[in-house]
Amino acid sequence: MPDIEWVYIKINGIALKVPKGEMIIESAKRIGVEIPFFCYHPRLSMKEGGANCRMCLVEVASRMPDGSLRKMPKPQTSCSLPAAEGMEIETDTEALNADRRGVLEFLLINHPLDCPICDRGGECPLQNNTMHYGPPTTRFIEEKRHFPKAYPLSQYVVFDRERCIHCARCTRFTRDISGDEELNFLWRGADMEVATFDHTEYNSRFSGNVIELCPVGALLSRPYRFKARPWDLQSAKSICTQCSNGCNIKLDYRLDRIHRVNARLNEDVNEEWTCDKGKFGMDYISDESRLKTPMIRRNGELSPASWEEVLYLIASELKNAEGEVAGVGGAYSSNEDIYVFQKFMRETLRSKHIDHRMGPNFQSYNSGLLKRFGCPAMGNPIAELEDMKSTLIFGSNFVDEQPILYLRVRKGWRFKRNKVVEAAPQGLISEEIRHVTQFAEVSLNYKNGTELPLAQGLLAALFEDKGRPLGEQKLLSHLSGKNVAQCASETGVDEKDIRKAAELLATDKMCIFAGEYVTHSPDATAILEVLGDIAVLTGNAGNLNVPVSRNNEQGAMELGILPDMLPGYVEEQNPGMNTEEILSACVKEDLKALWVMNTDLVKEYHNSDLANSAMDACPFVVVTALAITDTAAKANVVLPVHSVAEKWGTFTNVERRVQAFCKAFEISPDIHAEWKVFSDLSSMLGSPMTYADGKDILNEIVKSVPTFAKCGPNTLGDEGVILNPVAGGKE
Amino acid sequence: MDNENSNSITPETGERTSCKSEGRFSPNAIAELDEIITHYPNKKAAMLPALWIAQREYGGYLTREAIREVARLLGRPKAEVEGVATFYSMYNFKPKGKHHLEVCTCLTCGCVGAYGVVHKLEEMLGIHLGETTSDGEFTLSEVECLDWCEAGTVIQVGNKYFGHVTKDNVEMVLEQLRESDDHTSPSLADDIVKILLPKGEPKSKVE
Repeated sequence: MPDIEWVYIKINGIALKVPKGEMIIESAKRIGVEIPFFCYHPRLSMKEGGANCRMCLVEVASRMPDGSLRKMPKPQTSCSLPAAEGMEIETDTEALNADRRGVLEFLLINHPLDCPICDRGGECPLQNNTMHYGPPTTRFIEEKRHFPKAYPLSQYVVFDRERCIHCARCTRFTRDISGDEELNFLWRGADMEVATFDHTEYNSRFSGNVIELCPVGALLSRPYRFKARPWDLQSAKSICTQCSNGCNIKLDYRLDRIHRVNARLNEDVNEEWTCDKGKFGMDYISDESRLKTPMIRRNGELSPASWEEVLYLIASELKNAEGEVAGVGGAYSSNEDIYVFQKFMRETLRSKHIDHRMGPNFQSYNSGLLKRFGCPAMGNPIAELEDMKSTLIFGSNFVDEQPILYLRVRKGWRFKRNKVVEAAPQGLISEEIRHVTQFAEVSLNYKNGTELPLAQGLLAALFEDKGRPLGEQKLLSHLSGKNVAQCASETGVDEKDIRKAAELLATDKMCIFAGEYVTHSPDATAILEVLGDIAVLTGNAGNLNVPVSRNNEQGAMELGILPDMLPGYVEEQNPGMNTEEILSACVKEDLKALWVMNTDLVKEYHNSDLANSAMDACPFVVVTALAITDTAAKANVVLPVHSVAEKWGTFTNVERRVQAFCKAFEISPDIHAEWKVFSDLSSMLGSPMTYADGKDILNEIVKSVPTFAKCGPNTLGDEGVILNPVAGGKE
Repeated sequence: MDNENSNSITPETGERTSCKSEGRFSPNAIAELDEIITHYPNKKAAMLPALWIAQREYGGYLTREAIREVARLLGRPKAEVEGVATFYSMYNFKPKGKHHLEVCTCLTCGCVGAYGVVHKLEEMLGIHLGETTSDGEFTLSEVECLDWCEAGTVIQVGNKYFGHVTKDNVEMVLEQLRESDDHTSPSLADDIVKILLPKGEPKSKVE
């Protein structure tokens, strides 16, 4: 870190020390001086379109070389005014108040006064600033400009152009953050409006953020429109369950209904962004289809039953099945559920047959990774990604698989000169889909299925570069004697591109992402070995990231829903069966019972025929579920369990960060937490588990699993804690 | 607002309009653009000249395909190109008449009867300001100062200026124009492209 140069300034007569070049609007925050603004946003670039609302004006006096103070004749926008030694700033003078009144009077010329029916009413910066600084009356007697109300920009966003104050936050967001550059200003002066090209649909994976960014009620959420007033909503801190990135969110709810999802600030994870999957995909929680009572199959039909009845039935079936029972799933459950599940299976039922993995070819690669890098996970924390000098994104539809990691990598490119190399199969890169290709320095567009030779090509190119130390024999053996030209012809990629990519990757701060085209490949282990070699060869050992994709998949691995690993990656001496073996055993009727843990097995398992016939053949299938899924429909017993909104718990995200979510409401007393189901059953089967709540379980995990040592319920805080490294560590 | 009529898309279907570029840039136009780009630090900076070429190639006005093609050729987002194009008043988004009459109604011309000229023209052509005659011959607009105040009232038609126009002699202007074969918008665009190219033509001339 370079040393920060500090300067001394005065704001409203209060002396303070701030980093040189910090914008005055930020410096004022340090001492609690409020400066009103609309367009300013610390994460959006000031270049091209910043400082346009003119609301944050301040009076400035600068220190001259001879030591005298010279007052600038006109007020300056504090959002674009870098702090310099000796500056004296006034934020609250008669002249400034008159200026702000003028700015607001102009903004309100065309802004309709429909606050009573505006979704933003009550939490609107324009309302608030008008309240504090605005003129009480207007002198504008002409007709305001009119547009059709609620023009639909996309599936999720409606746009009220009359309300827009042209602050350019949304247009700058699409350029600086999401990268789709879909929104822009049309026309000019009084005719100016925000629009997509030719009024086509606003096509973005991050469109929901502009709703939160909009300082007025111009960009609004379609699902939330007219559903509630903000002051009627309660808010619960939560974690998004739509992917493994673990965005911090707020669930805004009333009674037992989620009305909207907003982002919650976490600088280390999602900053303040969400993707549309998360922002608009959480309504399953209060969906009508939620299962509200246990179901038992009677005469071939699932029919409602009481908890006593189902638990008694399950206990009697499992008592007979001891040792011949298996469990699959768990990637969508909380850490606490997962821990109690594996304990229930291993200790109460004496079965080692548990697995959460659903994709093909997983068996080898994650144990390979485990041996080499300590754990199958990301080698870099999310926040570190923006500081990389180069990034290789290999075999991944990155923006869909890892939306928040994508934003970080793009931020590094946009603001910190991170150079990105993309390797994606032909057909994935298309001109119209705006993703990594848009800003990748080199795009390696390889023939489908040739991930291994491409990785070898990159490694060979790095090898041939004489400036780099030649590795050991092991690295050479991974090349299988190929040179760059051979790899190029095998993959259909230009040899020059491979060499250029290798050159870009040879920096001291480089990281590699391996996506689903790698982990689902039959050569997964070999490809990851070669990518690992590239990391080692460039001096970035450990910077190989194999991000998981499902909500708490990382937690399921950390807490041992694996046939060969106990919680904390402690090796199991006699491994049990993995998912594929479990399902095959069901088909052969070698198992008496199967527990499917909150997973739509028949949809998610890569071989749905096998999953279907396993479900049909197994004599007793228990499914915990939120609603009747295709899998639940085939079960003998279905148990309704809590969603993320109905209990306290923790998830482990893709970077191994344990984050807590809070209970918002309860939908029905007949829906139980998953861990409660296991502990009740365990007690019925003669091994009592006495957990009062989720925190109890987390405390037990902290005590018994070394990687979780720092993750007690009281130490997690709002930001969460990254797990300890696995003992026996990285190479 | 020129574009109100395009507000009818239904995002429920999630359909985007076809993104196929018509590709009406001739090989010569592409050569011109390639040449012009070399005079700027990056492709984005060449956007205004590129739009002038497009205005010429697409017959005097910018269709959405024209904007799409410029965006593709410069590697810029379509929304940005559209935003730039709509900012400037000399790019057209609707077809203009063969002769585009731009009458100065600024202070000096206004004092010597510019509006008399405008009303006379409206009467003779049977259209209002901003409209085009049904035969597509004339478009009538008013503009701000054309910097030839001593000759007010001034009418600009492409690269031609008509000075000392009054409501009594304005008919002569129309007659003169009716005899001319010049198509104002594309030829004006062509003139501007020529100015932007140092010797009036690209280095790598396409045969």
